[in-house]
Amino acid sequence: MGQPSGLLFSKEHEWVKVDGDVATVGISNYAQESLGDIVYVELPRVGSSVKQFANSGVVESVKAVSDLFTPVGGEIVEINETLDEDPAMVNKDPFGQGWLFKVKVSDAAAQSAALLTPEQYDAFVAEQT
Amino acid sequence: MNRTPLFAEHAALGAKLVPFAGFEMPVSYAGILQEHAAVRSRAGLFDLSHMAQFVVRGDDAGAWADGLTVNAVATMRPGGARYNLFCGETGGTHDDVIFYRLADRWLLVCNASNAGKMWALLNAAAPGGVALEDRRSETALIALQGPRSAEILAPLAGGDPAALRYYSCAEMTVCGRPALVARTGYTGEDGFEVFVAAADAVAVWRRLLEAGAGRGLEPAGLGARDVLRLEAGMPLYGHELAEELSPLQAGLGWAVKFEKPAFVGKAALERQRDDACYARIAGVVMSGKVPARAGYEVIHSGAVVGGVRSGSFGPSVGRNIATVLVPPDVSSPGTRLSIRIRGVEHEAEVVKLPFYKRASTGGSGGAA
Repeated sequence: MGQPSGLLFSKEHEWVKVDGDVATVGISNYAQESLGDIVYVELPRVGSSVKQFANSGVVESVKAVSDLFTPVGGEIVEINETLDEDPAMVNKDPFGQGWLFKVKVSDAAAQSAALLTPEQYDAFVAEQT
Repeated sequence: MNRTPLFAEHAALGAKLVPFAGFEMPVSYAGILQEHAAVRSRAGLFDLSHMAQFVVRGDDAGAWADGLTVNAVATMRPGGARYNLFCGETGGTHDDVIFYRLADRWLLVCNASNAGKMWALLNAAAPGGVALEDRRSETALIALQGPRSAEILAPLAGGDPAALRYYSCAEMTVCGRPALVARTGYTGEDGFEVFVAAADAVAVWRRLLEAGAGRGLEPAGLGARDVLRLEAGMPLYGHELAEELSPLQAGLGWAVKFEKPAFVGKAALERQRDDACYARIAGVVMSGKVPARAGYEVIHSGAVVGGVRSGSFGPSVGRNIATVLVPPDVSSPGTRLSIRIRGVEHEAEVVKLPFYKRASTGGSGGAA
């Protein structure tokens, strides 16, 4: 299958790209494909604090509401406001322009230890199907 | 889990398969929005073979069915199709169905989710002169829905499907196979529901897709079907209709023929009709981008007054739409309500159903 390099993943099918102390978060291609057409995204408030793996928003497809569980904890520093007008971008480009939010993390190494490598995530996805 | 005769076709088309009423069914193929768009602008092909199909025979079958349902059955003529409901003594709904009247029998199609309940109900109520058959495993049901349905089906049919009036049916060959073709559907578009022998299902499905490809026909799943019917203001059992919800509450009073001398639930429905203070289904359009979903609370004047029964983004409306069950005094078009979604109240406005109506009716003569 092959995930983009440089990312870590959670079992809730989210990805994280860490750049210094800021982590960008999104959902995986497997997640967007499973969800189908995404019609609405609810993101955490900028300035709020989230804990790793806590419920931090929703992604809604035509048929269903899916909870977002942030793969990293810290302070929300930016959210992808283009998703307000174009939620389908999450389907079109889940690893790029479909990013969801950015988190300022203080302990990236420790949090990363709780996440999956691309290979581990691939194996995890293979178990689901 | 059960599979329809077309299961392998869905798998080969890459459908997303989900359990539904004990069957492994396609919820989508290319995607719900794409399939929805296909049905609204061109045509979609649905496998509905999971739905219950009962054949009813007997000289007294029509009168018998009249006693169990709210709409008129005995007066149906061969070639007729009619929407109907089976109710209980309290007026609540056991199922919403379609009867198809053929020369020597009736075909009764019930919701897949109520197949077991309805088979038991019919058998428990059937007198000696009424014969019942469960035909689901012998018959496949394929629905062709969308404005291009007639032009796609016509060259493949032994009869003239375009000449069928809305809500009528006729036996004719389709792709050379014996079929019952009905001008009925659950999408709000023109279309046909085609019953064929299970053994002919794959050939007919493939031929229809092949012949329709040039006209933009696409396979469509249960996900698109649900959005289409919601936009068209059609009830889904378990949402707008249920054991605890009557046809009157669902806005289906037109289907209740109070002039029938007797039917199960008549007294309760008469009382309900005369009291007129029952909670009822209303359609709402959300002001904002957050969709309403079944189960969310409906608020008016600071109090919870009801709940959402169905909700989705409606592409043909361009808004989030929902049905709600609310008291009569807040059910009129124009009423402003709010829906509580994850602790936050979101504005909605009651509108007249349906949310979407197609441009023209199908069938020569244009039966309304």
